[in-house]
Amino acid sequence: MKILKDKVAKLSFVALLITITAAMFYAPTASAHGEKSQAAFMRMRTIHWFDLNWSKEEVVVNDTMTISGKFFVFGGWPETVDKPDISFLNIGIPGPVFIRAGSWIGGQLVPRSVQLELGETYEFKVLLKARRPGDWHVHTMMNVKGGGPIIGPGKWVTVTGSMSSFTNPITTLTGQTIDLETYNLGNTYFWHAAWYGIGLLWLAYWCRKPLFVPRLIAVEAGKGDALITGTDKKVALGFGVGVIAIVAMSMASTNESFPITTPLQAGLLRGIKSIDMPVPTVAVKIEDATYRVPGRAMQMTMTITNNGDSAIRLGEFNTAGVRFMDAAVAQDETGYPDDLLAEEGLTVSDNSPIAPGQSRTIQVTASDAAWEVYRLADLIYDPDSRFAGLLFFYDQSGNRQMVTIDAPLIPSFI
Amino acid sequence: MSASQSAVRSRAEAVKVSRTFDWLILFTLFFVVLGGYHVHFMLTGGDWDFWTDWKDRRLWVTVLPIVGITFPAAVQAVLWWRYRLPFGAVVAVLGLLLGEWINRYLNFWGWTYFPVNFVFPSNFMPGAIVLDVILMLTGSMTTTAVVGGLAYGLLFYPGNWPVIAPLHVPVEYNGMMMTLADLQGYHYVRTGTPEYIRMVEKGTLRTFGKDVAPVSAFFSGFVSIIIYFLWHFFGKWFGSTAFVEAA
Ligand SMILES: [Cu+2]
Repeated sequence: MKILKDKVAKLSFVALLITITAAMFYAPTASAHGEKSQAAFMRMRTIHWFDLNWSKEEVVVNDTMTISGKFFVFGGWPETVDKPDISFLNIGIPGPVFIRAGSWIGGQLVPRSVQLELGETYEFKVLLKARRPGDWHVHTMMNVKGGGPIIGPGKWVTVTGSMSSFTNPITTLTGQTIDLETYNLGNTYFWHAAWYGIGLLWLAYWCRKPLFVPRLIAVEAGKGDALITGTDKKVALGFGVGVIAIVAMSMASTNESFPITTPLQAGLLRGIKSIDMPVPTVAVKIEDATYRVPGRAMQMTMTITNNGDSAIRLGEFNTAGVRFMDAAVAQDETGYPDDLLAEEGLTVSDNSPIAPGQSRTIQVTASDAAWEVYRLADLIYDPDSRFAGLLFFYDQSGNRQMVTIDAPLIPSFI
Repeated sequence: MSASQSAVRSRAEAVKVSRTFDWLILFTLFFVVLGGYHVHFMLTGGDWDFWTDWKDRRLWVTVLPIVGITFPAAVQAVLWWRYRLPFGAVVAVLGLLLGEWINRYLNFWGWTYFPVNFVFPSNFMPGAIVLDVILMLTGSMTTTAVVGGLAYGLLFYPGNWPVIAPLHVPVEYNGMMMTLADLQGYHYVRTGTPEYIRMVEKGTLRTFGKDVAPVSAFFSGFVSIIIYFLWHFFGKWFGSTAFVEAA
C-alpha cells in the first residue's frame, strides 16, 4: 500500500519534471547576437556589406525606420560554404521587436528566397516597423542555404512607447482591413477551447466509473467485455457522429464566411538585379600581408596602378563590416556604429595622389581594437589563412572606386 | 491482486482506495504521456506545427497526422487491452495540446513575443475521439487501424480549417500576392527560420490541381494506418500494469 503510494508519487514527480522540461525546452531562436562568434573567414569572404545606413537611432512604436545599403557577394567565396544560390535577406534582431514591413534587393520585394551571383554587388533596403520597446542591436543578415546565417554589422536602436499600442493593419484582397497582430485570435481560442472541452467530456464520461484496479481485475478474469454497457455504446456513437457533424458543419460555415482563400505562396525568386558597377580603373596587387598579434594591426604591402584619368588616393579598407579609414581622404557621415569604425585606423606610407598612369608600392596598416573585439584576428587560426576585403579609392572630386582584395595572411607574434 | 484482502478492512474502504488509485494513475499517465508525446511531436512535426506559414495543403496535411497518430495508438493499446478503457487517444491528445499551448503561450508569446495567432498548435481532437469511438465499438485493433487511421488522416484538415481558413485570405503586398499567413511569416521576424527551410507546397501531386488537400489527406490516412499498427504494438509490448500489480 505505502510502497505503491510512494511509487506513484515518485513517478508523478518524474512525470511533472518531464512535462516542465518538455514545455520549457523549446523557444524559437530570438537572438542573432552571435556576430563575434562567427568564424572570421565567414565574415571576411562571403558577403561584404557597405554604404550601410540606419535611418534612425530612436523609433516610437508603430513608426518605421530603414536599413539600407549595398552588399558585395565575394567572388572568392570559400569552398567550405555553399554558394548563395538560395539565400534569404533577413534582419538580425532579437525576435519580432520590429516587424519586417518590407525588404528589397535591387528594387524587388524579397519576402522569399533569392538567387545571388558571386562577384555581384546588390542594393538592398529593409523597412522595419517598431513593435516592442527596448534597446535592440539591429544587424544586417543574409541566410545562405547550406552556409547558415551570415551576420553583418549591427547598430543599437532604441524603441520607445508601448507594445500594447502596436497595430498592424492590413487590407486584404477581399476588401477588409484587419489588424494582423490580433486577427483571428478569438476564433482560434474558441475552436481550440471547444474541441478541448469535447475531449474532456469524453474523458469525464469514463472517469465517473471505477477505472484501473477493478477493470484490470475484470479483464484478467475474462469478463472484460461486460465492462462496456449498452449506454456506453450509445454515448460513443453519439460522440462519433457528433464529432463528424461538427467538423462538417464548421467546415461548411467557414467556407461560407471565407469563400476566397489561396494556398501559401512559396518559391525561389530568380533574376534579382545587381548594380552595374563600373570596371575599376585601379589595379591592386597585394605583395604580402601580415597580422601583428601584439599590435593588433594588419600590414599590407601593395602595388597600386592607376589606369584611370584622374589622380586617386586610398580612403578606406573595409572587411567584415569594420571600416578602417584615412581621415585625410574620407570620413563617415552616416553615423556608422562606433565599434566598427576606425576613423583613423588606416595608415598609408605615402598617400599622396597617384597620378593617372602611375604605379606605386605602398605600406598600408589597418589597426584598431576591433581586430580583437570582433575576433577578426582569429583568422590566423583558420585552416586557409586568407583575408579579404574592399578597398575604396577617391579622386579629387570625390568619385569613389571599389576594389576587392583577397590574399594570404601571415601572422607575426613579435 | 491482494489489496482488497490485506490492506483494507471493508469493501467501502477498498472502493475508496481504488478510487484514489484511479486519480493518481490517471494523473501520472496524463503527464507522462504529455511529456513523451510533446517531445516526440516537436522533434517530428516541429516547424509544421509552430508557424501558420508552414500549414499548407500538402505537407502539413500529410506529415502531422502521420507523426501525430503515434502516441494515441500506443496509449489506446495499453488502456484498452488491459482495462477496457476507450479514452487512450483522447487522453494523449489532451496532454499534447495542453503541453503545446503552455509552450506556445509562455515561450513563443510570453518570452519571444510572437503573436499567438501565428504560433497556435494544430488540433487533433476530432481524429482522436473518432479513434477511441471506433476502438470501443468494434473492439478490434485492425478495424481501428484501418478505419480509424484513415479517419485520423481525413479529419485533420477539415478539423483545423475553421482556424486556418481566415489566414489563407489573400492580400496584395507591395506588388506581390500572398496569404495573411505568409505575411505573418514575413512580418514577425524569425532569425533562426529563414524562408528557404520552409517546406510548403512541395511534392508531386501537381496533377490534382487545386484539390490537393483531400488527396494529401487520403495519403496521410493510408500512412497513418501503418503507423497506427506499429505504435499499437509498441503500446502492447511496452505497456505494463506494474503500478497496479505492485499492490
Ligand atoms: Cu548584435
